[in-house]
Amino acid sequence: MNKPIAALSRRQFVVGAAGSSLVLGLGSALGGCQPDQATSDLVSQGGSASFSPVMWFKIDANGAITMNIVRAEMGQHVGTALAQVIADELGAAWEDVSIQHVDTDPKWGYMVTGGSWSVHTSFTQLSQAGAAGRIVLTEAGARMMGVAPEACRVEGSRVHSGSASVTFAEIIQAGAVSRSFSQEELDALPIKTPAERTIVGRDVPALDVPAKSDGTAQYGLDIHRPGMVYGIPLIPPTRYGAAVRGIDESAAESLPGYLGAVLIEDPTSTLQGWVVVAAETMPVALKAAQAVQVDWQPGETASVSEADLLAEGSRLARDPSSGTLVVDDGDVDAARATAATQLDATYRTATALHFTLEPQNAVVEFDDVGQCHIYAGNQWQSLILPLLAQVLDLPETNIIIHQQYLGGGYGRRLFGDQMIPAVLASRALGRPLKLIFDREADSRFDCARSPTVCTFAASFSEQGALTGVEHAAVAGWPTLSMAPGFMAPGVAGEGKFDGFSISGADHWYTMPAHRVRAVNNELAQKTFLPGWLRAVGSGWTGWGVESFMDEMAHEMGEDPVAFRLALLDGQGKNAGGEGSTVGGATRLRAVLKDVAERSGWGRALPANEGLGVAVCHGQERGMPTWIACVAHVAVVPETGEIAVKKLWQTIDVGTVVNPSGAMAQAEGAALWGLSLALHEGAEFELGQVKQRNLDTYKPLRMADVPELDIIFVDSDAFPSGLGEPPLIPVAPAIGNAVFAATGQRVRDLPIRLA
Amino acid sequence: MVKFTLNSEAVTSESPPDTPLLWVLREELQLIGTKFGCGIAQCGACTVHLDGSAARACVTPVTAVENRHVTTIEGLATPVGAALKSSWEAEQVPQCGYCQSGQIMQAATLLEGNPAPSDAEIVSHMNGHLCRCMAYPRIKRAIAAAGSELVQGEGSNE
Ligand code: FES
Ligand code: FES
Repeated sequence: MNKPIAALSRRQFVVGAAGSSLVLGLGSALGGCQPDQATSDLVSQGGSASFSPVMWFKIDANGAITMNIVRAEMGQHVGTALAQVIADELGAAWEDVSIQHVDTDPKWGYMVTGGSWSVHTSFTQLSQAGAAGRIVLTEAGARMMGVAPEACRVEGSRVHSGSASVTFAEIIQAGAVSRSFSQEELDALPIKTPAERTIVGRDVPALDVPAKSDGTAQYGLDIHRPGMVYGIPLIPPTRYGAAVRGIDESAAESLPGYLGAVLIEDPTSTLQGWVVVAAETMPVALKAAQAVQVDWQPGETASVSEADLLAEGSRLARDPSSGTLVVDDGDVDAARATAATQLDATYRTATALHFTLEPQNAVVEFDDVGQCHIYAGNQWQSLILPLLAQVLDLPETNIIIHQQYLGGGYGRRLFGDQMIPAVLASRALGRPLKLIFDREADSRFDCARSPTVCTFAASFSEQGALTGVEHAAVAGWPTLSMAPGFMAPGVAGEGKFDGFSISGADHWYTMPAHRVRAVNNELAQKTFLPGWLRAVGSGWTGWGVESFMDEMAHEMGEDPVAFRLALLDGQGKNAGGEGSTVGGATRLRAVLKDVAERSGWGRALPANEGLGVAVCHGQERGMPTWIACVAHVAVVPETGEIAVKKLWQTIDVGTVVNPSGAMAQAEGAALWGLSLALHEGAEFELGQVKQRNLDTYKPLRMADVPELDIIFVDSDAFPSGLGEPPLIPVAPAIGNAVFAATGQRVRDLPIRLA
Repeated sequence: MVKFTLNSEAVTSESPPDTPLLWVLREELQLIGTKFGCGIAQCGACTVHLDGSAARACVTPVTAVENRHVTTIEGLATPVGAALKSSWEAEQVPQCGYCQSGQIMQAATLLEGNPAPSDAEIVSHMNGHLCRCMAYPRIKRAIAAAGSELVQGEGSNE
């Protein structure tokens, strides 16, 4: 899949003195720009027409090291992990390091935080940046001590030669350092071997935790600007096609400080039929939002229900002409034609909400030089900025998103569409404005996880051997609506598909014949904006693939672990390659063996209890995180109540940058998997989600948290991603455990035993 | 106009009397540590102390706090508060962090009366609080750790 990574080949890494600091960053060598100019532009941070400097980090004369973090902080402590990578190569003392999350600026290149990509995609580049800094400081320090650079080592923010040393601070105080590196030189820099690392792999405390432990951390909703007024959105009855027939403000007009109801006319049609009610104060805005009556002409999906969406999914799954081929290995049709026995099954998942605890919001302020400042937490600035530029008819460079902490992301904040009504209302009123969604509005406006349908058809020979598997997955596709440029081409050279919505179906089991069809549910696409929800497609393909693996194992009379191990042979396309795919399916095999052993797979359990197993490779074949999971469930036969007693996971993510942070991500993601399996699930009714607040939408609470036994494989392989993958195998492991406990096969998420 | 004591200081709110305390704190008085999550007393993000007891500011009209003492995360200056904040850091509890003010305020009312709660007591006291990041294992551990620190601290004073 395409990862949006800035092209860096024409940039140079430059190091220069800025006043009493040393700055280290990238300069684009565009238009014949000279290294000297690159350095001075970087240092001035001004930039010129031909040159846009990027400062990765700077070291002050007192030795303080500040690192700029381009990725969004939404609970994954990403800034800490990325700073660890730089600091390790630089030879910094961790105590000297601080981080800063940056605002949008073209110089940062492509700004997105998602897909569990951050460490994976930044590791090499940041390691090189740190190493370049180390080389420069070593050379300068060696000169000061009158020794050869080769005789020096760097550690604890000091350059050491024998028993002598100089600190980074002393080097910087001593004067100008100027140096640039071409990409070729950067690539050739000596990067530390895993054994040499001292900060990567260490449990340094996350730099954002203190502010999040005393109430001072600032989220988008916390912003105050002078003269700011309050806006509350009134959301139309359908996501698309709604029109405002009339607005009755009579009951609001007498409220003191009422400013009016702004009709949102979005030239991009991303939002249709919106109204924002505004007032000088929040209490009045709340009252006005109740008082103002809008008469809407709803769009054509005003009667669509969850059952309609699933029925359309089932229809499409059964239609072999629908969709795009994503995997086409061997001859599935021949296997089917000659099959002695067949096994077919359909798996479904219900609509699910992001339900970020911080509801959608944005603060907008236009300044007097015509720039639009937006204060909000956002995961994909490079997606929303061009859209906002169209909405406002302003150049992108005149719109600045000031990044804040995200009170939950999980993929919701990949699309900053809440900024559209905020900027339009603020401009219409001529005032800075804080737009606040109440919880119900946030849920109705959510880009929910689409309801999905997956069908599987397996063929078996006379001898009982598996000869082929066909899989069709039907869903609303987030990428189609929000980022169509990222749609991937089908394997047969025909059609396109949303790779994020099918990942996981292209698994690492060696199959005699395997075909996967990704199908868009157009009714879903028309009814709502399907979203990327944590783990995206793997959240439903994984549910189907791993439940069906269990069904096939039972059909063949094989143990579910042994059946999987036999197919994880690491042969052919499953052998893996370079980087994080090294080892291929054999690494998945290893974690499966480990988790089976640790969970006591095969042991006898009391009546109505069972163990279930599932594996996953994370989201993308190119960036696999190898996970095996066992769930232990107990079912109350009378009520059908399912209790998860314990979850085991063995995770091979390659190099772990921060073990404590990694464990927090793994625990959180695994519990998300449990929550989606048993506790969450919404339904469309009359064109919108019915469950809009915690009285009806009920994510996991503390009382239902099972014992967790999660371990990481000790590995120095290239780091992969962790924010989402541990979610994936939990639901199928639970479903398979329910089967082991009761003999009843469950095929719908959330799981309900009648 | 409603007068009350906020974090030991006398304050006056000019907001209409039926305004939820949450918005008075956050928007009128600009104390942003108390969070808005659900608005219907189901998530706990807005938890403050009202005369020492946990209260959900999103469903508490500001008139209800007239002449009473309101404490927010910013004013939680008790030994229990300090122990919780430091155990939250030591256990690296917060993920996105958005729920954590409310979690800490709620946990404080448990430890004030019972510094050595059992696992079941922690769960039943905290179960009304949603952590959407699902940082529950560490929240539970940090409450127990803060409790033992308080118990030990007392022991060493004796
Ligand atoms: S905002 Fe008050 S309990 Fe959720
Ligand atoms: S840490 Fe994110 S909601 Fe609790």
